[in-house]
Amino acid sequence: MNSFGSYIREKREGLVAEDKSKSLRQVAITIGVEPAFLSKVERDIVSPPSEGKIIALAEVLNEDPDLLLAMAGKVSSDLLAIVKARPQLIGELLRELKEQPDHAVLSVVRNITDGDW
Amino acid sequence: MINLKNDRMNVRFPEICNEYELNISFQRTLRIPDDGNDHFLPPSLGKFPLRHIEDFDLVDKEHLKKRGGLIMPMFQSDALWLSFNCRSKRSIDLPIAIKVATGKINAVSGLKWENGLDSEPQNYLVVPDQPWLDGFNVGRGTVRQFVAAPLGEGLTVEEQINANSDVGGIQFEFIPMKKEYFEKLKLEAQTEGSQEFHDMRMMSCSKMSIDEMGIGAGGSMRQEIYEDEHGIDAWDLDNTKRCFITLANAEQWLSITGEEPPMSPISSEEYTDAGLPWFDYFDEDKISIEGAEALSDIKSIKDIYKQKIKDLFGGGTSSQNQKVHDISPKKKGNISNGFW
Repeated sequence: MNSFGSYIREKREGLVAEDKSKSLRQVAITIGVEPAFLSKVERDIVSPPSEGKIIALAEVLNEDPDLLLAMAGKVSSDLLAIVKARPQLIGELLRELKEQPDHAVLSVVRNITDGDW
Repeated sequence: MINLKNDRMNVRFPEICNEYELNISFQRTLRIPDDGNDHFLPPSLGKFPLRHIEDFDLVDKEHLKKRGGLIMPMFQSDALWLSFNCRSKRSIDLPIAIKVATGKINAVSGLKWENGLDSEPQNYLVVPDQPWLDGFNVGRGTVRQFVAAPLGEGLTVEEQINANSDVGGIQFEFIPMKKEYFEKLKLEAQTEGSQEFHDMRMMSCSKMSIDEMGIGAGGSMRQEIYEDEHGIDAWDLDNTKRCFITLANAEQWLSITGEEPPMSPISSEEYTDAGLPWFDYFDEDKISIEGAEALSDIKSIKDIYKQKIKDLFGGGTSSQNQKVHDISPKKKGNISNGFW
């Protein structure tokens, strides 16, 4: 699996050919960091930025924020709050799901209902 | 399966392609002037919030829950466009045929809602070919903007086609490509490469009952709806998903959900005056379908009000100083996407 830095660099460079607003400088300005800092993040010279900046980066690069946070070794604060509210139950659930295939995990995600119309 | 995350509908068909997800969001946008001209595509001003309808007390509208789906707030005369964004990891994008209707009137064909697909006239669009839909298909290369309007005043498209209609909302049906067709497409893609689309219209930038909203027609803009290049037999009609989006008047959103509704957007004139961009998108490799005959005579909300109370809306001025970004896909061969 790619490192956090190389992953976002690959994604950003894939976008910049079509959209100049995805240049390193423009993306850095959009998420509110110095271009030099983002450059170091992309080269894995420094640690990934804060949760807020990673979520902003996910929005700019059209990536899943949970995926980027996980790659950065972080857990989003909303997920942490969910675990803290029911630590034993959620812990048990996650361990149970650990070995399950994706389709089984997806089956416990709340689906949008379809009714009579 | 369809689920909801970060105000996006996520549509997946894991039995066909486990790594693929289609994200659909409802983008708030400027109401373009209804002045007889065809305008460029307006930007995104952020997403409308989406919530599961069964999570709220709808008081005397509890019966709406039997339709299932989601609920979304819109102010009267708010405009929206639909963003279809594909997220795949290693494989190519799974094509999905999408039917879109407002008040159960198909926005592509103008005909009444029926489950399934039709090719004559084509009553669906295909993603990833079609990145957005901004309005009703009124002519080849021209749509009339989706604009919210209260039900019961004859302003919505459904009421123009059937005066007694009181359905409201926005309806979707998603039909994936058959697995065997998709496998063939993947093999072909390995020899040709494929284009990747990037969404560039995103700017980085006491209990009450609810008044139901529908969708009327606003100003006219340039947008192609592309012909299905796979053919109708490519679609897996035994494996479809549907979703009903109930539209609530945003003034009642706080009462229903306890959340503040989104602010009404700025005017198109203010936006243009600030030097911000409009967009143009044309894919020369694709053929666009004809406008829907059933929608060719629909009146815009402004025209209806003109008849009723002499131009209550006033409309906007034509934006001659618009800064336009051409975000059409480049010619094939210019961009290589490799195999991943």
